[in-house]
Amino acid sequence: MNLFSKTFVKPFATALGLVLAASVSAESVLIKGADVYTAQKLLPATDVFVNNGRIEALGSNLTYKADRTIDGRGKSITAGLFNSETQLGVVEVAAIEQTVDSMTTRTDITAAFKVADAFNPNSTLLPHNRAHGLTHALVMPRAATGLFAGQVALVQLGNTPRVVHESVAVAVDFSEHGVELAGGSRASALALLRQAFADVQDYSANKAAALAGDRRTYSISLMDAEALVPVLKGEQPLIVKVQRAADIRAILKLAKAYKLKLILSGVEEGWMVAADIASAKVPVIIDPINNLPSGYESLGSRLDNVVMLHKAGITLMFTGMSWHNTHSAYLVRQSAGNAVANGLDKHVAIAAMTANPARIFNAPVAGDVIQGGPADLVLWSGDPLEVTSEPELVMAAGKVAPMVTRATMLRDRYFERLSAK
Amino acid sequence: MNRLLSTGLAAAIALALGACGEPEKAKPTLELPNKDPFPSTYQANAAGTLLIKGANLLIGNGEQAEATDLVVKDGKIVAVGEGLQVPDGATIVDGKGKWVTPGLIDVHSHMGVYPAPGTANHADGNEMTSPVTAQVWAEHSVWPEDPQFEKALAGGVTTVQILPGSGNLIGGRGVTLKNVPATTVQAMKFPGAPYSLKMACGENPKRFYGGKGQLPSTRMGNMAGYRSAWIEAAGYKKSWDDYIKKVEAGEEADAPTRDLRLETLVGVLEGDIRIHNHCYKVDEMAQMIDMAKEFGYKIAAFHHAIEGYKAAPMLAKEGICAVMWADWWGFKQEAFDMVRENIALVDYAKACAVIHSDDPIQVQRLNQEVAKAMSAGNRLGLGLTAGDAIKWATLNPAKSLGLEDQIGSLEAGKNADIVLWDANPMSVYAHAEKVWIDGVLRFDRNDASVAPTSDFNLGILEAGEVRP
Repeated sequence: MNLFSKTFVKPFATALGLVLAASVSAESVLIKGADVYTAQKLLPATDVFVNNGRIEALGSNLTYKADRTIDGRGKSITAGLFNSETQLGVVEVAAIEQTVDSMTTRTDITAAFKVADAFNPNSTLLPHNRAHGLTHALVMPRAATGLFAGQVALVQLGNTPRVVHESVAVAVDFSEHGVELAGGSRASALALLRQAFADVQDYSANKAAALAGDRRTYSISLMDAEALVPVLKGEQPLIVKVQRAADIRAILKLAKAYKLKLILSGVEEGWMVAADIASAKVPVIIDPINNLPSGYESLGSRLDNVVMLHKAGITLMFTGMSWHNTHSAYLVRQSAGNAVANGLDKHVAIAAMTANPARIFNAPVAGDVIQGGPADLVLWSGDPLEVTSEPELVMAAGKVAPMVTRATMLRDRYFERLSAK
Repeated sequence: MNRLLSTGLAAAIALALGACGEPEKAKPTLELPNKDPFPSTYQANAAGTLLIKGANLLIGNGEQAEATDLVVKDGKIVAVGEGLQVPDGATIVDGKGKWVTPGLIDVHSHMGVYPAPGTANHADGNEMTSPVTAQVWAEHSVWPEDPQFEKALAGGVTTVQILPGSGNLIGGRGVTLKNVPATTVQAMKFPGAPYSLKMACGENPKRFYGGKGQLPSTRMGNMAGYRSAWIEAAGYKKSWDDYIKKVEAGEEADAPTRDLRLETLVGVLEGDIRIHNHCYKVDEMAQMIDMAKEFGYKIAAFHHAIEGYKAAPMLAKEGICAVMWADWWGFKQEAFDMVRENIALVDYAKACAVIHSDDPIQVQRLNQEVAKAMSAGNRLGLGLTAGDAIKWATLNPAKSLGLEDQIGSLEAGKNADIVLWDANPMSVYAHAEKVWIDGVLRFDRNDASVAPTSDFNLGILEAGEVRP
């Protein structure tokens, strides 16, 4: 018992994952007659054959011999879910600071703050989210001392969770929270951003001298300047969290002036400036369930925000649901369902948590159900966005994912006790 | 001061009477504190008669009925059945293919006390200046213009219990409101609803006060803090009981000096005020139950009962509701043992299972939270129907509030708190189409004029922009 409780949380979970992964790695699966949601369209009542970790065939009346054949009638298949803003692998219990690696109090490690270095593949959150259909996520650092939160990682929740890309973007927090950390005024925050960018340009052009201490004092540390070089060269995206319409415009203007590759996140008042966002060809990371004036920056928050953003031609990437975007990051599906309930096209909603982020962040999957593609998919017991649909089969990184998690073990232990009464 | 004045007045009247007849000694009068100094001023408009025809009804008590009629008269449900006569002058709503539930009830809300926008000037939910603040009443913090109320209404929520936060061991009184637009909290108060008292187990009080180097800094400190308060309350109760006994025996006696803090605790000991206890873990629930027995009071509900499934047989035996989320977890150690089947398992053990939001986003779609909890139970093979599941947001919460004789089910004699859904409310695609409270239409998805927006939104958003 003692041994069990001591070793349970991490090593045991890992051992279990490895054993199951080894035993199922070569498993071939034939799913018959499920509704397949590709990134573009619905393929009704379609057979899917998965072999050697890839989708070998898609069609009707497939007759492959498989290790496992599943009746998919009345069920649906989507690509594995992708949540575009989480702290997966860098937070275990939010109120236990020793388990929280998503932020730092150091003022000299901001843009250089790389959450990927802290990623814990043994986190209990990963099997829980994977078993509910989440196969990829962005791990977003959080700003604690200033505007720059750090470098965003792309992780894959396969049976052996891993960091796919250590740094896919640098994150800036220009919400009321970030502005508060930057002198308490949007004007001071913008001044600090411009100064930081000017410093990076100077550093970039005079690197040797800067490292030798022969340039002026910069407003950010040398390692932060180094981390921002690819952003200022327009090679790496800058993800800016911003809510208020006027602030969105200010950030768009800034990005244009410095020729940045911009991605916006939050954007609760985005619908008010949708044309501006669209003409700048800037994609957005958004939780479509938000509809409250939670702060003065989001007085215009509304449920059909995403409908208007989509209509304007803006590429959507979803996060959510609400603040459960880490421990229950798989609930991005509920946010997507609510978007559809309030007017968004279903395929657009599904793409916003599969194909769109996969493409923009260069994931190892297409976020789509396509012949020849890697087996990264979920078989849902019903409609793919319905809250009463359960994942019946999850394939992540080409392998069947175990559905046993810490939560199901607890459930089974107590259900047995309750049933015995 | 009041007491002296009125005793003097009584004596004067006695004297005056005495002057005309036999001189009689003034009988001392009992001066008890007013138990309802902030009475409800809620009034339903004339509701008329309503017939919802042929809808699928989720009754709220576990039953369901297809293609059934429902008649409302003067704010009450008067009949439920197939093919009912159209009453004279009735407004008829075609319910064919639609669904009807009782108004949803959220027993854990901080709307009004933590309104939107969430700014310091209106963060009035947690009086964290002392671990026992039984003297504070949540209703005194409620900002009725909080734009969150109307969003919850659009999600079919008709009754809310507003609680103080959980920073304190004993945080103060909660209040039950009808979710109607109003300029004063009194106009929202559910007439005659019992008061509640918010208590909190576990990590929050010990973290906050421990951080300041004062009791409680540990769970044993938590227990000592509650027990000391109950001992004080018992002493205070005795001083009033003694006073009442003396006066009733015709003796002169001065009423004890009022103590607001202890008055509320005595209300619990006397069974007038219901305990709603933030308590995640089974071990702490067991201690709270023993403590309630030690001091002779009842616990109505454990809120945030993440470990409800571990406590279920005990809760069933003690008649205590478990108030739960569908899937929240991991924000604290005490929230680590989440299982998605929690609500279904508590229900399975025949304990009173209740869903709650504690959240302004989820209060707008409590039906989806119920649906997720139902789905998890069905994954385990529990065979739950929508009719079974909806009671977690209707009759069971009504029980926890002590209002089950008035709200929570579609039964004749109950208040006409009704939601008409455009699809099965267990679906993510369902919307509340119409919401009635006491038979009065308070929300109509297709007619914005039915529910004028909060004053706060005027001039900020255009009429079409404040729709849910």
